Amino acid sequence: MSTNRHPIEQEELMAYLDGELPPDQATEALSHLELCPECQTLAADFGGVSQKLMAWEVESPEVGIPSEINAALGERLQKREAAKVGSPRLENRVMTSRWVWAGALAIVCVAVGLKLTLTSRNRNEDRSTVYSSMASIEQYLMPDRNAEIAMARSAAPEAISADAKILVLGWRGYETAIEGKNGFVCMVERSWMSPFNSAEFWNPKVRVPGCFNPGAARSILPLTIKRTEMVLAGLSKAQMIDSIKAGFDNRELPTPAAGAMCYMMSRAGYLNDAVGHYVPHLMFYFPLTDKSSWGADLPDSPVTLNPQFQGGPEPITEFVIPVGKWSDGTVAPVM
Amino acid sequence: MTSDEALMLEFQGGSRAAFEELFARYRKPLYGFFGRRLNNPERAEDLVQETFLAVIRAASRYEPRALVRTYLYGIALKLLAAERRKFLTSSTFGQSAPEPKTDGTPECVLWVRQAMEKLDAPDREILMLREYEQLSYSDIAELLRIPVNTVRSRLFRSRLALKSYLESEAKTNPALRASAGQPHPGRRGMQ
Repeated sequence: MSTNRHPIEQEELMAYLDGELPPDQATEALSHLELCPECQTLAADFGGVSQKLMAWEVESPEVGIPSEINAALGERLQKREAAKVGSPRLENRVMTSRWVWAGALAIVCVAVGLKLTLTSRNRNEDRSTVYSSMASIEQYLMPDRNAEIAMARSAAPEAISADAKILVLGWRGYETAIEGKNGFVCMVERSWMSPFNSAEFWNPKVRVPGCFNPGAARSILPLTIKRTEMVLAGLSKAQMIDSIKAGFDNRELPTPAAGAMCYMMSRAGYLNDAVGHYVPHLMFYFPLTDKSSWGADLPDSPVTLNPQFQGGPEPITEFVIPVGKWSDGTVAPVM
Repeated sequence: MTSDEALMLEFQGGSRAAFEELFARYRKPLYGFFGRRLNNPERAEDLVQETFLAVIRAASRYEPRALVRTYLYGIALKLLAAERRKFLTSSTFGQSAPEPKTDGTPECVLWVRQAMEKLDAPDREILMLREYEQLSYSDIAELLRIPVNTVRSRLFRSRLALKSYLESEAKTNPALRASAGQPHPGRRGMQ
């Protein structure tokens, strides 16, 4: 590849696909990638290699903590306890040491704060060891455009989705695949619509089909569009959060329209590793409100508070109500 | 949920629960780490255990300069190097390294393994740390004590080489060619 024709090196392109380029270079890489068939081929090749490597899974036996580790652990903790009881000075030293550790940790947290908490690596949940950073972009794309259209439509009963506008995800963001007639917009969301602290924020398997009603298409869909553009531009979580906050502050981003809701009744979706396909449900959006106003999460209440925007930069409250059938009319499992 | 680093500090302070949580988070990823590099499930399990034993023994010396994740894979890499040295030594006394177990292994996995074996060892390690352990370039650089740019260039080289190996194998094996186009349903990387 000649650098005369390509403003970025192949290695840089790979780094971009790995989520390893700083935002300014990432933007340049994305702009070039979108227009360059040769680089798209390289990206597809690397994505293909990663996908083939996934075949090599290692089944780990389900075991508890082995006895040797338990013994060593017990011994260490016992010694520590004995030291505490036998030596007040040592206790002081240990306590002091703990403060030193805590102080050091605080320093580390400040120094690498973004990395620890807000960047592409969320280490606060179990699956952080699995989806610790963004996978190559290709893994989030669906190679078969028609399959993505069909999946998007499956979010709502045909009477609604047949005339809906359909969006599909491309290299630069969502694109209109089919114009609609009824004001609904159907699409397949990806993992980055999870809460920012979700361990599956970068899970490339996530596919969440949804059909937004006209109110949600105006006021909720822009959030999906914005997050997606920022992700594809290589922004860190901290940058995305700041940008979303600013968007609401300066009113570039809308607040939920009255009656904004979304159908999520697809049996083809994959919400995350924890719940898989989940159950068919409807979602309703409001400006921040107390969940008690809907009786959400109370015993036997069918309404739950969705954590999607909870504690996030979007000042939105989202309620979920499961329904009994998938969009194709078949009976769904009971929650 | 508590961060790994906070759990490590709690463990230093005497919390068994903190250790148990770290064990739960990292047992499977570490098993995958050793399992892919040794092709020996028993030794993989042993070395996972040794990794955690090392954490217990060295707990008082742990300093939160590095992420726990990097710290654990650092220990794992040292144990792996020792294991390989042991093999080399024992080989001189007439023992040979066990053949990788292939019974019941899907052909597409064998294909990937064989292609990986053709890579230079340092390049393969970088590729595996990125693809399976999902470490960042800087984490890999820190663990292997090489510049980040070296990580990037070797990763690039190994991906190109692997693509070439996989393609040439697929050309000679129609079954693999068919499976090559099938996305794997499993999740990316570690177990």
